[in-house]
Amino acid sequence: MSEQSVTSSAEAQKPIGYIVGGGLKANLQARLTVPAQKVQEGAFVVVESGNWLFYGLVTDMQLGSTDPRFADEQTETRLPPELAKLLHGQTLFTNLEVMAALMMEQGPDMDEDPEAYQAWFQKVMEEEIRPEPVKTVPQHHSEVRLAGAGDIAEIFGKEGKKGYFRIGDTIEGGHPVCVDLDKLVQRSSGIFGATGTGKSFLTRVILAGLIKRDKTAVLIFDMHNEYGPDDTASDTGMRVPGLKGKFPSKVRMVGLGRGATIRGKTPDYTLEIAESDIMPEDILMLTQELNLRETTPATLNALFNQYGRDWFHKFKNMRPHAVQEDEEGNKVPADDSIEAWANEANIHQLAAIGLHSKLNRLFNCEYIVENPAGDAVNQMINNLDNGQHIVLSFGNHEKDLDYLFVSNLLTRRIRDVWEYRTNNFRSGHQGATEPRPLVIAVEEAHKLLNREMASQTTFSTIAREMRKYYVTLLIIDQRPSQIYDEVMSQLGTRITGWLGDSDDIQSVLTGLAGREALRGMLAHLQPKEEVLMLGWGVPMPIVVHSRRYDDAFWEELLEKKARRSNRDILRDIGF
Amino acid sequence: MSEIEIGRLLRSGTTGFVVGCKVNQLNAPGFGAMVRVPLEAQYQVYGVIYDIHIEDDGLVRQLITAQDVPEEVLKDNRENRNVPVEIGVLVLGYEQEGRIFHLLPPRPPLSLDAIFLCSPSEVAHFTGQGRFGYFRHMLRDRDKPVEELLAAHLYQARAAQVDAGNEAWYQKAVGELITLMRDDYQGLIKTLSAVSEI
Repeated sequence: MSEQSVTSSAEAQKPIGYIVGGGLKANLQARLTVPAQKVQEGAFVVVESGNWLFYGLVTDMQLGSTDPRFADEQTETRLPPELAKLLHGQTLFTNLEVMAALMMEQGPDMDEDPEAYQAWFQKVMEEEIRPEPVKTVPQHHSEVRLAGAGDIAEIFGKEGKKGYFRIGDTIEGGHPVCVDLDKLVQRSSGIFGATGTGKSFLTRVILAGLIKRDKTAVLIFDMHNEYGPDDTASDTGMRVPGLKGKFPSKVRMVGLGRGATIRGKTPDYTLEIAESDIMPEDILMLTQELNLRETTPATLNALFNQYGRDWFHKFKNMRPHAVQEDEEGNKVPADDSIEAWANEANIHQLAAIGLHSKLNRLFNCEYIVENPAGDAVNQMINNLDNGQHIVLSFGNHEKDLDYLFVSNLLTRRIRDVWEYRTNNFRSGHQGATEPRPLVIAVEEAHKLLNREMASQTTFSTIAREMRKYYVTLLIIDQRPSQIYDEVMSQLGTRITGWLGDSDDIQSVLTGLAGREALRGMLAHLQPKEEVLMLGWGVPMPIVVHSRRYDDAFWEELLEKKARRSNRDILRDIGF
Repeated sequence: MSEIEIGRLLRSGTTGFVVGCKVNQLNAPGFGAMVRVPLEAQYQVYGVIYDIHIEDDGLVRQLITAQDVPEEVLKDNRENRNVPVEIGVLVLGYEQEGRIFHLLPPRPPLSLDAIFLCSPSEVAHFTGQGRFGYFRHMLRDRDKPVEELLAAHLYQARAAQVDAGNEAWYQKAVGELITLMRDDYQGLIKTLSAVSEI
């Protein structure tokens, strides 16, 4: 904690109310002493009680009266305005419901006991005293005030401190709210919000922050070609800068398939999938998309057992219904026919023919080749190792099949590499270095992490492992309710815009304390403007006015540190 | 200090007393006006007039029923009555050694003690002390016309406070009344209706 934030915390701020009831299980109740319109749901408030500060969120506001008749009768029509105002001020009131989340010991008065204050301040600087979960309640009539910039910095970190990245501002006061990027990537995270609520912009902001921070490699599966190249906003028609344009040397754009172009531009290199890289589980993951039958696992297993990593190539070149004449002139299945292989492998012919027919969609994919021109996957891994970041653009291959197949296969391969390196590093192999943390950003995550597929994809494994192998996910989705509960519960940080569907709201709040209180806040977020941050990666839930993704954002982010004058330096050290 | 004597004490108690006065003294006091009873050096009791009562007597009864009574006889009997006008006063507090207390006095005034009308500065001084503790006494006895008494008192006290430069007094006083009466919806609405008339 900086001295400035300590000072800011101590700044006298006008109270907005006082505590009148509540408890640890139920939220705190505060009587509002300012007009209700000065406070909004989601406001970050501070309760000062003795030597303790309690930090909480306004989760509800209720109108009350000392007697219901004062509320029922429109006394302003019977009494002069002056009297009516006095009467209403005393008999009609608004109560705030405050969900207290953190508390922190406040130091003694600097003027009354300078020595004790210094001792306390030392502890704060050494982080012996820091905000902790609420374990007690403030006293009756403790003053409640809106949090100031110092309070926000106290809890969420100060902009400019290493790793702390401003994600937006508080609704009241517009004080900067930061996330600790280094903590954010320690567990998988999710960005949610209904269509058109600004998810993609927020994702760009966070990805830009991660790339600028440069402690973590980022791999983005860019299904709709919107993160890498410059784009045009669908609603405003404004030009939206892409990550490649802003970080030309740090971001590598990879196109899917030979000759791929992304919005008319040639990518840094292209990715082709070698047929030998495709494993049976990659096909099984497409069961729903390809409408595969129950016999598919057995057929794939037989193919893999017989041909090993060549199975896909061999099966692709088998001819269905091909016949040849035997020595006696009878028509029998040709040697290269599916039927002949099925007979040999003891697989039902129709099952094999059916699978072949359904795999035609993959056989016809131009980015799946027998011998790729280069080892793009290794190149991607090298890039990620060397401090660069990858945006894999799907170009014209925007079908669900392409997205599911490529993203899963690629993730499996990359994770295997990271797992291998991690094991080497942890077992102390000579020359083994700690793997660079990797964040994989996945759009339309529910297609990969729904209940049916979650057990089969590498993504769910990564989500469950948390940071074990230095790989985490950044899930971006508009239908969190479609994502498997077990995966949702593993997400560390959740940043969510407005959600209309009650199931989606329920899902985002899975596994969190104070769900009922947060539910209303989530439903009342202003689309495109406000997001709710909650979960492991933030000290407490908070609603923020999300940072705009515009020229000002880029100017602030890419601003080179100005040389400080000698006068500034001297002033900082007290001269 | 006001020297307008309005009468002398007929009977008294800790919570209130009755003053008797001549008819020609009746021009000065009014309903809701504040009065004081100096008892000894550095000690006087303050009150508010809640009732002004005129009893009949035998002569008045005869004159009302008599025919063709000359005007001068009527005037003589109105002004030179044997029975005094009775003024009911509710005790609001006392002053002792220069300090105002909004509490009931330790000792009530005695018979024939002189009662004086409070001047505006005395009203402002008494009502401006403390936090309107004397409202308790006005609200205690619901048999009295409390709403009207409060309205009359606020009217007179506000004028005195404005003269003394305390414009905010009235709002604070009404606010305090609302606080004291907010659990009594009917009483509060009646009081505010009466106050709104002033």
